[in-house]
Order: sequence, then structure tokens, then C-alpha cells
Amino acid sequence: MVKIVRFFAYMLFFIVALMYFMPKESIYFFAEKQLQKYHVVIAHESVKDKGLSLELRHLDVYVESIQSAKIGEVDISLFGVYNEVKAHNIELSTAVALMLPTKIESLTIKYSILNPLNVTLNAVGAFGTLHGEANIKERKITAELKPSSLMQRKYRSALYNFKKQANGEYEYVQSF
Amino acid sequence: MSKVSNSYLSIFVKLLVLLALAKSIALALWWFLPDDGVSLKENVNFNPPYHRVTFKNMLSNVGTSNAVTNSQALQESSIGITNMILKGLYGNKTKGFIIVALKSSPQKTSLVAVGENYSGYKLKSILKGGALFTKGGKEFVLKIKNQKSRTNVHSSIMRVQESEGVHDVSRQDIRYYEKNPDQIWKDISIMERKNGNKINGFRVTRVRRGSKMDSLGLKRGDVIIRANNVDLNSYKAAFDLYKDINKIDTLQLVVLRNNEEKELVYEIH
Repeated sequence: MVKIVRFFAYMLFFIVALMYFMPKESIYFFAEKQLQKYHVVIAHESVKDKGLSLELRHLDVYVESIQSAKIGEVDISLFGVYNEVKAHNIELSTAVALMLPTKIESLTIKYSILNPLNVTLNAVGAFGTLHGEANIKERKITAELKPSSLMQRKYRSALYNFKKQANGEYEYVQSF
Repeated sequence: MSKVSNSYLSIFVKLLVLLALAKSIALALWWFLPDDGVSLKENVNFNPPYHRVTFKNMLSNVGTSNAVTNSQALQESSIGITNMILKGLYGNKTKGFIIVALKSSPQKTSLVAVGENYSGYKLKSILKGGALFTKGGKEFVLKIKNQKSRTNVHSSIMRVQESEGVHDVSRQDIRYYEKNPDQIWKDISIMERKNGNKINGFRVTRVRRGSKMDSLGLKRGDVIIRANNVDLNSYKAAFDLYKDINKIDTLQLVVLRNNEEKELVYEIH
């Protein structure tokens, strides 16, 4: 028993040490280059290695060279067994202003070894709250949206992509 | 005592080895990973900006107040129609302008719009080869200078507008589509045309009959390749046009129809 505890303690130490020494900025640049293949470019951001996490500020996100969003702050923590990407103060481009409310307060994407088949997503914004999961095995995204009154009043057409549930929430299912 | 210190030393050494291992993996990774990120490369349009010479913008560029002042000043010194030279004209019967000067000072030209006065003569309409003025209930025709030589006439005229080539678009319609973006895709379907990985235009795949889009003259199969002198070779180019549609007064589209380039001009009022 002591040996097992010791093994896990060493393991934890190793993971923390690895995370600390990991060239997080370079990994981020590598991820940026991968995104570029899908015509997504993140520009004008400041990148800071915070020891165990990576902090990005003032990001401009371009999709197909079109400015699509401005993100105030992103924190990326990747520990292998628990990974989290948190984004705050997201302002979507005016291009989508007619279809969606542009302000998103926070967006969190998590992947934990405790729920190994799913990547979870939570978002809170002027549109309401959204909880979603992407199942890696089934290659399926399911999301539940609790729309805000603004969303229901002004952006009803965006809700057509969702299926209304009995509890008043809206469900979105998509395979990928 | 020695056993305890040995055990601490063993733990310390193990931790040190783990640290060294973690650092080695990190260094190995760092070796293969890029040192810098992706920067945004904006495609610059090297074509000159599209500028359509129209009745409206010519007047605003020259300055209506100057034209009025000139015509008022000249009005006072009652000058006959025979003392005038018509140097250029632009427009049709109901709208447009002429470029006119006095024989005494032919270099000093004035721009007179339909309905305005020049030397006491009111410009009533623009004819094919001249301008029709009225004064005291009588009509006077001032013919363009060098009318015998057609080529000279056309070089002095900036461009005589053929109104059937121009579509008038109501700004209200634009606002309607802006407020109801879904309606755009109900009325028209457009998809990119690619040559390999590169976009080289946007193909109109459907236009709903009787819709506002139908009245714009676009036909199924048309490939829109240029708008206001900007090559539509990216989504960004198309999006920029969509974004600025409210700020422009004139839209020129160049479309490929039956493998021939055709120009469609829209005046937004």
C-alpha cells in the first residue's frame, strides 16, 4: 500500500515537474500552426508562461481571414489527467450580431481522465447558458441551451437549430 | 539515524532524477516545436478603388455652392447662348450635368446640373449631342463642341450613361436583408468557385423568382468575380463587401456569364 501511494506521489511530482518545464509557449505556437490549416488564425495576442498554465490575453480570432471574435483572456492548463481551457470576455464579430448576441462572458472546455470519453464545454453569455459534451468515441456533440430572454426575443431564428425540450431548454445534437 | 537520512537521500535522488527526466523531455519537445506563432497576413487589394463618375458624386466633388455662385455671377452679366461652349455632358434626359464654359474664357469651366441656371439659362435636359436650356419661356439648344467629330465628342464627354445598364437599388431593401439575413439565403444561393484550393469567384446557384434578388439582374450560373474593383478571391473579400454595403452608393459587379465578363452596376439610393 505504501509502495502504491509512493508511486502515485512520484507520478504526481513527475507530472507537475513536466508541466512546469514544458515549453508551453512553443506548444501553443504549434497549436496555432495546426489551426491555421483550418484557416483559423489567432493574432495580436500576448502569451505568458505562468509556470503550470499558459495565459493568453487580447486575442483576435480570424476565420478565413475574417475577424470573428475578440477574446480578452484565455487560461490553458494541461496536466494530462486534467486539462482545462478557460476563456473570458469574448466578443463575437459584428458579422454574427444579427444571428447571435455577441457577448460571451466565459467559456470553459474541460477534459478529465475521470470522464475519458467526453470533452465538456460550458458557456455563459448574453445568449444564456450552454452545457455541451463531445463524445470522442461516438463522434457526437450534444448541447443543452438555456436561452436568455434576449435570445428568445431577438434571436429566435438561431434557436431553429436546436430542438425544444419539455423543460424549456433547447437541445442540439450533431455528429462530427 | 543513518537509515533515516539514507531514506531521505534516496527520495531526494529519485525526485532529482524525475526532475531531470521531466526537463529532458521538455527540452526534447522544445527542440521540435516552433519558436514563433502565426501572424495574420492580410491580402492587399492592389487594384485602384472603384470610383464611378456619377451625377451625384461629381456634384459633391466639385462643390455645388461654387457652381451656384458662378452661375449667379454670370447670370448678372446677361450672356447669350451663342457665347457658351458645351464641353461635356453626362446623364440622361432627367438627370445629369454638363460642363460648360464661356467663349471669352474657355478654360474656366462650370458644372451645371439639370434644373440649375447658368448665365440666366436654365438647363432643362440633356440631349444626345447637346443640352436643352430654357429662358423666358423659350428653348435653346447648345450643341457640344466639335460635334462633327464623334471621337472628339466622346473624349470630351466623360461617359454618357446608358441607364438600362444600371440598376437602382433601394437602401430600404438593403436594410431589410440586413435585418433578415435568413431571407438572403431564401432568395439567392451563392457558393464559392474554386480552382484547386483557391477561390476565384462566387457562383450564383439559385435565384428565387419574383424576389428582390431576382430584380438585380443576377442569373443562375453567373460567377461574381469582382466587386468595386476588388477581386472576390476569398471569403474575406466577400465579407468586407457585405460589411460595407451600407456605406457605399454604387456597387459594380463583374460577373462571368457564358464565359464572358459582364458588368452590372447598382446605384443605391
